[in-house]
Amino acid sequence: MASSGSPAVDAPLVVRLDGVSKHFVVRREKSLKERLVNFGRSRRHREDFTALTGVGFEIPVGQTVGLVGHNGSGKSTLLKVIGGIIAPDAGVVERRGRIAALLELGAGFHPDLTGRENVYLNGSVLGLSRNQIDEFFQSIVDFSEIGEFIDTQVKFYSSGMYVRLAFAVAVHVDPDVLLVDEVLAVGDEPFQRKCMDKIRQFQSEGRTIVIVSHSSDQIADVCDRVIVLNHGHVVFDGETGPGLEALAASFHTPPPGPAPEEQP
Amino acid sequence: MTDIARLRADRIAALPFERVEPTAGIAQGTSHALRQLWRYRELQGLLVRRELKARYKDSSLGFIWSFIRPVMLLLIYYFAIGYFLQAQRSIPVFGIFVFAGLVLWGLYSDILVAGTMSILTNAGLIKKVSLPREIFPLASAGSAFVNFLIQCAVLIAAVLVFGQMTFTWDVLYVFPAVLLVMVYGTAFAILLSALNVYLRDIQYLVEVVMLMLFWTSPIVYSYRMVADVIGGTWLEAVYLANPITVAILSFQRAVWLPSPSVQSQLTEMGIDPSTMHPADLDVRILVLLIVGLLLLWVSHRTFLRLQGNFAQEI
Ligand SMILES: Nc1ncnc2c1ncn2[C@@H]1O[C@H](COP(=O)(O)OP(=O)(O)OP(=O)(O)O)[C@@H](O)[C@H]1O
Ligand SMILES: [Mg+2]
Repeated sequence: MASSGSPAVDAPLVVRLDGVSKHFVVRREKSLKERLVNFGRSRRHREDFTALTGVGFEIPVGQTVGLVGHNGSGKSTLLKVIGGIIAPDAGVVERRGRIAALLELGAGFHPDLTGRENVYLNGSVLGLSRNQIDEFFQSIVDFSEIGEFIDTQVKFYSSGMYVRLAFAVAVHVDPDVLLVDEVLAVGDEPFQRKCMDKIRQFQSEGRTIVIVSHSSDQIADVCDRVIVLNHGHVVFDGETGPGLEALAASFHTPPPGPAPEEQP
Repeated sequence: MTDIARLRADRIAALPFERVEPTAGIAQGTSHALRQLWRYRELQGLLVRRELKARYKDSSLGFIWSFIRPVMLLLIYYFAIGYFLQAQRSIPVFGIFVFAGLVLWGLYSDILVAGTMSILTNAGLIKKVSLPREIFPLASAGSAFVNFLIQCAVLIAAVLVFGQMTFTWDVLYVFPAVLLVMVYGTAFAILLSALNVYLRDIQYLVEVVMLMLFWTSPIVYSYRMVADVIGGTWLEAVYLANPITVAILSFQRAVWLPSPSVQSQLTEMGIDPSTMHPADLDVRILVLLIVGLLLLWVSHRTFLRLQGNFAQEI
């Protein structure tokens, strides 16, 4: 457990979630033909899928939180809700400070543009002005180590190069909160090590980080706290060691009951 | 805790909490949305450049293509249709007449077709970052406008070559014409881009409807021909209620009608040049502009209401 980065007890909060729920309507017809063919049956055909149920927690400044759980447990959905990319159906999400998110393999890059153009596009999406990006540009290229490929269209990048550039941009926009969803998995070993070093540096600078990862080693390495999701429910929230045990246990436990309000 | 960390914590402690919800715009109103758009103006510029680039991506002549197409069109209409098919007989300087209409129509159709697709084509960004999403249909409108300016350069050259333009104040009708098209085009693009996320047929529907609407505006025929058939009836009122028709009429009045050769040939045919557009054009422009701005506001509100679920639907 990395105790060096733990925030002080009285640290102010940066992210606050309360009773957040999200369900998706699956199998909704998107074309006129499907709608006409299924007309009438359409109502019955709709299936609600609950991805998050009553999720609530608070994150203080400077904490590094590991978000773990089985495939489909709602980790990415939760990160998108925190990032303001999808709206929860119920509950409140509050946040302050500058936020940068690396969601499911990369930031929003446009395949037809070069790496250089995408850096500018992405930087301005994250709230930087042109001058600020000019200032960071060389440092972003250096960090990503993609060299002359910076002037190649990103559709010709390997998935590792893509993530390198995305990660480099995200860590250069001076975020207070960094959301990272499994992006480190595709980097090669030296780059993963570099990213972990960067994350440690971020911790010492008091930045708040939420990491989704399937690598228990990485989680144990950097996180101060672990939140375990199981079918959209938070089943554990606390210290890293017990958290990883709870994660292992959650793989074998059935989903929490269908009516969570009946639980204590 | 390091100093830098303490400074950050103090700074954050002083900030107010903000509720995160992609639909916040509804509660906070139009002025908030406009401020957000202003904040992202640099991104807006990048997106416009990106759309223009994507249009001619990987072609070696690149931007020159955007000149070649309108020049070819102009030549075809001027010679093939104007002279060989003798459209020139009923509409003098037919090439300029039809090209003016086509250029303005092209602006409208570009905004609508690209704008309707804009949320889907930018799925990559919308799924990854939180932004005011109106900027995507707006960027489509912006890049359509830049393309329009390029075509206008061809039009101006053509007017100078074929039409022997003389200056009249009527040239100012260019502004309301372009404004009308931008306002209505943007309003529909914003609305349709949001609806297209939930019902993908919209994009095909738009293409088909645009084909039909093309013939409901006086682009390849003149308003005079319409007035001769349905003048004074309720059909004419319906015909003139179309904002694009009014925009095209004022555009023709600005760039085609003042030309001395048009004026003299019309007089030779026994046509009063001022009957090439309705007499109350100014009033119509004004009324349609006000209606258009209202429409823009309504479609923006609708967009804000629908955008909350964009990321999960695309
Ligand atoms: N846009 C969507 N429409 C419908 N269902 C969705 C959508 N996005 C996610 N889901 C569903 O919500 C559930 C949670 O998905 P999520 O991506 O959050 O899982 P995850 O914990 O990130 O999984 P993984 O470890 O595989 O990345 C899944 O069952 C998924 O099918
Ligand atoms: Mg995921």
